[in-house]
Amino acid sequence: MKTTSTRAIQAMALVIALLGLTTMNASAMHIAEGMLPVGWAIGWGAVSVPFVVAGFFAIKKKIEQAPRAKILLAMCGAFAFVLSALKIPSVSGSCSHPTGVGLGAILFGPLVMSVLGLIVLLFQALLLAHGGLTTLGANVFSMAIAGPILSWLVYQLLRKAKAPAAVAVFAAAALGDLFTYVVTSVQLGVINGGMIKFLTIFAVTQIPLAIAEGLLTVVIFNVLEKYSKSELHQLAVL
Amino acid sequence: MGTDRYAYQSRLRRVSPLPKLLLTVVAMVVCLCCDSVAVGLATLVGMGVLITAMGGLSPRVLFRFLKIPLVFLVVGCLTILVGSYPAGTEVIAAIPVGNALWGFTAADLWLGGRIFCKALGAIGCMYFLALNTPVTDLTMALRTLHVPPLMVELMELIYRFIFVLSETAANIRIAQDSRLGYQGFRRTLSSLGTLASMVFLRAWRRADRIYTALESRGYTGSLTTLHDQYRSGWWLLPLTALVAVVQVGVYWLERMALG
Repeated sequence: MKTTSTRAIQAMALVIALLGLTTMNASAMHIAEGMLPVGWAIGWGAVSVPFVVAGFFAIKKKIEQAPRAKILLAMCGAFAFVLSALKIPSVSGSCSHPTGVGLGAILFGPLVMSVLGLIVLLFQALLLAHGGLTTLGANVFSMAIAGPILSWLVYQLLRKAKAPAAVAVFAAAALGDLFTYVVTSVQLGVINGGMIKFLTIFAVTQIPLAIAEGLLTVVIFNVLEKYSKSELHQLAVL
Repeated sequence: MGTDRYAYQSRLRRVSPLPKLLLTVVAMVVCLCCDSVAVGLATLVGMGVLITAMGGLSPRVLFRFLKIPLVFLVVGCLTILVGSYPAGTEVIAAIPVGNALWGFTAADLWLGGRIFCKALGAIGCMYFLALNTPVTDLTMALRTLHVPPLMVELMELIYRFIFVLSETAANIRIAQDSRLGYQGFRRTLSSLGTLASMVFLRAWRRADRIYTALESRGYTGSLTTLHDQYRSGWWLLPLTALVAVVQVGVYWLERMALG
């Protein structure tokens, strides 16, 4: 009898520790270095390659038409990095970082995002130890390909359906964020099973975060619309 | 920024980047392929020794860096570890929820521990690269590896602009803080939104100015830079082989010990 009660206490302590961790750092979006077996790491890398190559040629074409675009795109990439380093408050009281998935996709389109995302994720792995080199392929797929494509589709659809800009931006950013975490959960879950576990653990932390990021993106977009209409026109998002 | 500051101070900084890259990749691949607790821990220790003894980084700083990915790892591994089992399963620790037991078994513990240690080893390898090689050297290495020049140039430009923009962001943040920004959830969001959009705006304008400056200095479409003078680093090759041999040796020892 005594052993079961001590076990229960041990497990309880474990759960409390786990909960403490999730609020401490809710942005477990990046798959950490070494979490993926070799086969999966190579596989996700291979899946990402065609998107990145397509994005690369899209950028190349853009730069051939307007050489200025190279500097602008580099600035946009650096902006994405700085954005992801900002702290964003979550409803549950914890703090996390925005992914910038939605904003990037709306501003630059999903093709350009795949290349910029690759570079930004590489720098995040090397400079900040968020993510990793072997998990780069998987992270690029979830954060620079799948999320932005969904965000972009949502934004285009809602704009076509004559929804107000704020609604379209919010939905694109929040859904892109959520989709990124779903993809990450699937990526972690398919290896050893337990996809549902990953989804529920992340759902608790990521749904409030997705809402916060959606709101933040709307605020950013409003200010941009007010002060830099001409720049947005050059990017052809309005 | 992060590891970069220490990379510039490393004693291995002047060593040619390609051998360092090779050592990292070989150690990382062997560590992941072995998929064992002992190899992971041995790789971490080995890389720690290389970083501190050869690179000259203080162990305290290294520990601080190791703590960063640890949070991601612990969350991921605990999620793999904990699962629900029908009542009566042999578990190490669990809490009963309804008819099921939520906890982990010995096999789960083994699996979680293996992934955890393997990842620790890989993180050690990554830090060997990140803490001894500045990004500018790395892009140089990518150039010699025939990565498309446009890609390398974008990387170099983005790397440079990251510092410019984070300085801008930090300045705006101080200005906002001193004017009662970031008070409460609503105000935080609006302050943050203003900050992000202003950084974007300034980035855009600055890019315009940089382009004008480049054009007036004869820019024709590519930024060519001179190769840095590196010390030859091919003496790292035997070391790479040694690391791999030790890793495989540890792997065999573990297999023999476990039967």
